[in-house]
Amino acid sequence: MTRRPTLLRHLLTTALPASIVLCAGSGLAVAEPMIGRSFNNYGLPGAVDTPSAEMLPDAELTATAAKSELTERVGLVFQLAPRVTTALRYGKFDSTEERRGYVRDRSFDLRFQILDEAAGTWRPAVAVGIQDAIGTGFYSAEYIVATKTITPTLRASAGLGWGRLAQGGGIGSPFGDRPGPDTGTGGELNADTWFKGEVAPFASVAWAAGDKLTLVAEYSGDEYACETGDADTCARSVWLSDSDPLKNRINFGATYQLGQNYQVGAYVLGAKHVGVQFTLLTSPRRAAYPSGLEPAPAPVRPRPDRASDPDGWSGVWASDPTAQPAIQKALGDALADEGQRLESMVLTADRAEIRIRNERYIQQAEAVGRAARLMTRALPPSVETLVITSSEAGMPTSSVTLRRSDVERLENTEAGQIANAAALTDAAPRPAGLVPTPGEFPDLDWAIKPYLSTGLFDPDEPFRYEVGGEVTARYEIVPGLVLQGSLRQRAFGNAEQEAPGSYAVDEYLALSDDEITEQNNGVYRVRSDSRMYTGNDKLQVPRLTLNWYGRPTQTVYSRVTVGLLERMYGGASAELLWKPVNSQLALGAEINRVRKRDYRDAFELLDYEATTGLVTAYYEFGNGFRGSIGAGQYLAGDVGATVEVSREFANGWEVGAFVTKTDLSADEFGEGSFDKGVTISVPLSWGTGLPSLRTVGGTLSSLNRDGGQQVNVRGRLYETVRDSHSVRMYDGWGKFWR
Amino acid sequence: MNRAMNAKSARGVAALAALLALSACGNAPSRGDDPSLLNVARQTVAQVVARRGEPAEAAAPRDPAEMAATALSVNPGPLILVGLEGLGTTQVLAMTGQNGGMRTYMTPNEQAVILRGGMLVGTRGLGHDMSATEAGRSAALIRAGQSGQAQRTLRYYAADGRERPLPFTCRIGPGPKAGVMVESCEGNGVSFQNNYMVSGGAITVSRQWGGPGLGYLTIQTLRP
Repeated sequence: MTRRPTLLRHLLTTALPASIVLCAGSGLAVAEPMIGRSFNNYGLPGAVDTPSAEMLPDAELTATAAKSELTERVGLVFQLAPRVTTALRYGKFDSTEERRGYVRDRSFDLRFQILDEAAGTWRPAVAVGIQDAIGTGFYSAEYIVATKTITPTLRASAGLGWGRLAQGGGIGSPFGDRPGPDTGTGGELNADTWFKGEVAPFASVAWAAGDKLTLVAEYSGDEYACETGDADTCARSVWLSDSDPLKNRINFGATYQLGQNYQVGAYVLGAKHVGVQFTLLTSPRRAAYPSGLEPAPAPVRPRPDRASDPDGWSGVWASDPTAQPAIQKALGDALADEGQRLESMVLTADRAEIRIRNERYIQQAEAVGRAARLMTRALPPSVETLVITSSEAGMPTSSVTLRRSDVERLENTEAGQIANAAALTDAAPRPAGLVPTPGEFPDLDWAIKPYLSTGLFDPDEPFRYEVGGEVTARYEIVPGLVLQGSLRQRAFGNAEQEAPGSYAVDEYLALSDDEITEQNNGVYRVRSDSRMYTGNDKLQVPRLTLNWYGRPTQTVYSRVTVGLLERMYGGASAELLWKPVNSQLALGAEINRVRKRDYRDAFELLDYEATTGLVTAYYEFGNGFRGSIGAGQYLAGDVGATVEVSREFANGWEVGAFVTKTDLSADEFGEGSFDKGVTISVPLSWGTGLPSLRTVGGTLSSLNRDGGQQVNVRGRLYETVRDSHSVRMYDGWGKFWR
Repeated sequence: MNRAMNAKSARGVAALAALLALSACGNAPSRGDDPSLLNVARQTVAQVVARRGEPAEAAAPRDPAEMAATALSVNPGPLILVGLEGLGTTQVLAMTGQNGGMRTYMTPNEQAVILRGGMLVGTRGLGHDMSATEAGRSAALIRAGQSGQAQRTLRYYAADGRERPLPFTCRIGPGPKAGVMVESCEGNGVSFQNNYMVSGGAITVSRQWGGPGLGYLTIQTLRP
């Protein structure tokens, strides 16, 4: 309860920016840092190769593909905070170290705007940036840049660049020599090279030639040394290629905005090479239907005055044994119509508690608000206290207590008012008089549907896919005890069974576990042979588990999962989570005992056995940021820690990143040095406007290696519990009356 | 104001979702067809225009006057006729709830317009809904036929899932036509102008701004 005032204050002061309501691009003055209009060929605001000090609108997410005779790149850019831009990209470049003659390599960029432009003064916006901060260093560059608006349609940028941006036109090395790039396994921060070596100036102008067209010209120190065979300047000889050199350091480009969501561009590099690029822009803050298209909720029904319903007001109805069943049936049906299940109910003359399971609305507050409205329609007038307890996987996770007169008084007013009048508490474990709704359990849900599974950014096969049919079923015997699983039959696809490394499938199958371990730097292949599981034409059972959820105390939740936990592992998993409803901190512990599953036969197991365990602390920082840090033992028997940070939005969008470092040495781990990745989750309801709990998304992780790998158990407690806890509940409270 | 109102979106994500959703089958969507409390309310509404779930195309080209006449003969309760200028649609809405001075009117497919003494204070199910607004000061001036100023905050469901305020400063006064009050509001670089026809202290016909994504609504009282 102590957190509530802070959280509420935060909720109530979500002041503006109005631009979020008024859609970007409506020509309004916006109190955000200087926003870029056009993207350079790294996908960031800038000219062609050079950056500017501009930012994207907060929370903007873009995907860019750029191709010229010299380069090929695809990437994602996310505006993590108003002044912090991040980028993740896959570039393709020649490498004599690889059989195939090229590498597709990831790189990560960071840009920070240290100073915003001050309108009407000389002060420009200033940003510093690091390009390719953890990859192999192929695109490695650092810069400091200033951008100034000269006229409303003209902006100029000038800066100093190191690394790739100083391949030509250098003016000296103020901070010492630049060490060569990491020639080993890659994946470590290249911090020792930052701002080292030759520095060169760069400059650009961008002219808005209309609402949609932007023309840019730049002077750049990036001479494409490796791509054009300049062995003296190229950082590593294995990257050398032999395209024609640029004629000068001047590049020209043009970008054209197509609607709100697309931008196309073309450019000429050094009067020699041409390139094109395409950018897709999206943002959790823009949607086709911001409020959603779900039907209106039922209006609140105010109670009649005492004179016209003396029996209802007196509470004598409560002694009638037929009252509660009739009310519970009517309320259960009305809730079912709105995608919620009334699991159980306590009803007395002046107080009603309902336990609902929300199966439709991403924002739990919308489910609670709708339930409150329906309660005013179903309950006799003497019931003044309304308690709406959210149930997740059969566990009561939180209770919202409202006075019925507040619901009547505040219907369809600013959501903060009813938030102030409501109390959010841990649910009472077993309240007296709790009556389960007849017919709710056992409950069977099943579906038959097609599936598409994809793999992206594999160096050999950029797009792998498999299409087939899938049956999923979920049988909940009693609340919290669930048997669930799925069956899949592949129809077609280009994802075939492949052995790791240079083995053929048969060769790999003939190896003993010891041989596999020995030939993989002493680490068993716990994940890196994942493609041995693909291309399976037999009937597959991706998952089949019995899950038991419980709540041993008011603030501790438990889970036991037994069966085929995931495609590669089967066994048992147990978890405990401490999470008081109004706490921003949660602590969890998980232990798993698993065997590796057969590559082909659904119910066979291989010999490899492992015990993994992780102790994790989770924290919600506010403003949509949350993080976790966990330590323990991973699948290969390695010991280490995982750190995760993500930014989430009330509507269900989430963008996050994680790293895991274990006691495996970089050599044992292999390429990439440690496990890391980016996750994106997009709610379907954001795209379609139709209410649904479903999300689409995925993890862009490092190459599947064997260090720092966890078992992919479904239904972990933290994710299960937190949607109805204070931070998520109040973040989404704005939809209480929706 | 049927599905046609929502038909202008065909985005990649939507298309993908539709593909996944339409091609699926199972028992999951079966719940919710039973009669229920809310359905009682909805059936009241459903009487207004023939059967529930009637396709939009059938409703759209109908003459509003004919629609109004049919509705008045089938439904004994309060009715309004609402036109959405941006989409060129007009529908009859029936009152499904009254809470003090606030009334909720719904279409047969459960899109709602919420009025307080004839002033638009919210919409639901239109995709760009206004969540709430406090219009008391404006309403008092309009109904009294007086000139004056009022601060009004219109609140919206923003795409990121939050309720966001848009504050406006409004000037209220008689318009050029007799009996018509005009409320001109400005804020955040946006302006709108609402017109209200007042008779006997009640707003009978009005043209009110629903918000940045929704545009203007024309609201006419068929039966108070």
